[in-house]
Amino acid sequence: MLAILRSEIFKFRKANIWALIFVGPVIAIFAGLVDSGELPVNSWVYTVLMMNLVYAVLFLPLITGVFASIVCRYEHQAGGWKQLLALPVTKGRVFLAKYLLLVSLVFLMQLLYLGAIYLVGNMQGFAEPFPLEIIWKSVLGGWIATFPLIALQLWLAIWFKSFAAPFAVNVIFTIPTILALNSEKLAPFYPWAQPYLMMNIGGKVDAMFFVPWDQLLIVVGGSFILFFLGGYFLFNRKAF
Amino acid sequence: MKYVVETKNLTKSFGKEQAVQSLDMKIAKGEIYGFLGPNGAGKTTTIRMLLGLMKPTSGSIQVFQQDLKKSRISILSKVGSLVENPSYYPHLTARENLEAWRKILGAPKSRITDVLAIVRLSDVANKKVKGFSLGMKQRLGIAAALLNNPELLILDEPTNGLDPSGIIEIRELIKQLPQSHGMTVLISSHLLSEIDQLATTVGVLTKGKLIFQDSIEAMRKLAKQNISLRVSDQDEAHRLLLAKGIQTDYQKDRLILSEFTDEEIANAIQFLVQKQIAIYRVEEEKRSLEDIFLQMTREDQVG
Repeated sequence: MLAILRSEIFKFRKANIWALIFVGPVIAIFAGLVDSGELPVNSWVYTVLMMNLVYAVLFLPLITGVFASIVCRYEHQAGGWKQLLALPVTKGRVFLAKYLLLVSLVFLMQLLYLGAIYLVGNMQGFAEPFPLEIIWKSVLGGWIATFPLIALQLWLAIWFKSFAAPFAVNVIFTIPTILALNSEKLAPFYPWAQPYLMMNIGGKVDAMFFVPWDQLLIVVGGSFILFFLGGYFLFNRKAF
Repeated sequence: MKYVVETKNLTKSFGKEQAVQSLDMKIAKGEIYGFLGPNGAGKTTTIRMLLGLMKPTSGSIQVFQQDLKKSRISILSKVGSLVENPSYYPHLTARENLEAWRKILGAPKSRITDVLAIVRLSDVANKKVKGFSLGMKQRLGIAAALLNNPELLILDEPTNGLDPSGIIEIRELIKQLPQSHGMTVLISSHLLSEIDQLATTVGVLTKGKLIFQDSIEAMRKLAKQNISLRVSDQDEAHRLLLAKGIQTDYQKDRLILSEFTDEEIANAIQFLVQKQIAIYRVEEEKRSLEDIFLQMTREDQVG
């Protein structure tokens, strides 16, 4: 399993597109810097809210799809699947390795985002100390909320040979997030809205995450199980 | 007899169409098994099933006397394969492609340099594969198949896209693998000439059915020898021989005697000479394996 993962990392690293993980955090830095002025409440929290709007609503869900398409693209291009699956591997392990790679990439990107917040705060010269605990919760929560989205994107990227089709599906589901977030009834149930909601600082300070546990387990957990198993079984049934 | 590959009643259907029907394939250790058949006969489908890339509709596959369904991983760790058109990662160099697969196989790093040398790709090892010619990609595929020093090497149309000198090179390479490395080789092709110079055993597949499976010598024996006779009076000779109960095939300028022993031929000629018929030519007409192959596949289409 570790060997497959190492091979996956190697292939991705050589694709020379890993720089994509910087794009989101860099955009977020600009978003954080633009809106300065008289800052209300805690200036850290306000800045994070502004940065989240740009980063977590659209960029984070979309980039998971791009990553998923990339790790399948070079397999689709010239019979890579066939060659890979004729090696002593199981399809399940290959699927899991690709999934773990994607999850790790998003985690790295979240860490960069955390760094971006820290950078913006320092550039703005905030007086308060960096609220690491709160922001860490936000970054970690946002990461967990992408698990089901990554699973669905991997499913689609395996299914479609083309690069554009999974991306189109991703856009179709991601754009309504803006509307869903405006509806208090709908937002908690919309999987694509979860990254933003889980990164959205607020709620009870003593809670583990910024959304209630039952919402996390049912919406994020439920859609994760559905999408992961869907992709897993599709991959296992598909002939190469 | 212990076989390296043994399939029983192996069948694959795509909807109504049966791509492979009740295949009983047997490959003994150290053989070079030539898997012959026209395009679309089901060769690649069979090979895909042997590698577990495709699930059989019914039947069983044993490789190294282990059930493929149960021991796929341990089997595949001792198998090297090249399936259909070459597979590769376009964004990686030849060396990097092999490295991506080597990481999974756990072969030593030095093996990459070795296999690149074997297929003569050392000079372009650090070039991106997307710029390679078809022949070079094919060689890379063969290098990949050799990476884990397999006990069973499965090559599906390995000389596709190679130039004549490349074909000879690969043929020489494959030929010496059983002796030098104890490998068993399964090589598929739609060209008999390729298999003829390479294989020790032949399996002929048409329309999903294995219509012949035996040693290459047995196949050559099928190349029935015809004797053609040119005589002074062909009509008379034909009649005389017929009267004596010898059936000949009357052709424009010669008589054809098929499937006769040396003695029978001698008797027939002696008889004609006694009857004052001059014998101009006695020639042997050997049928090529190509003819047999064509006949086999044609017979099947008729039947």
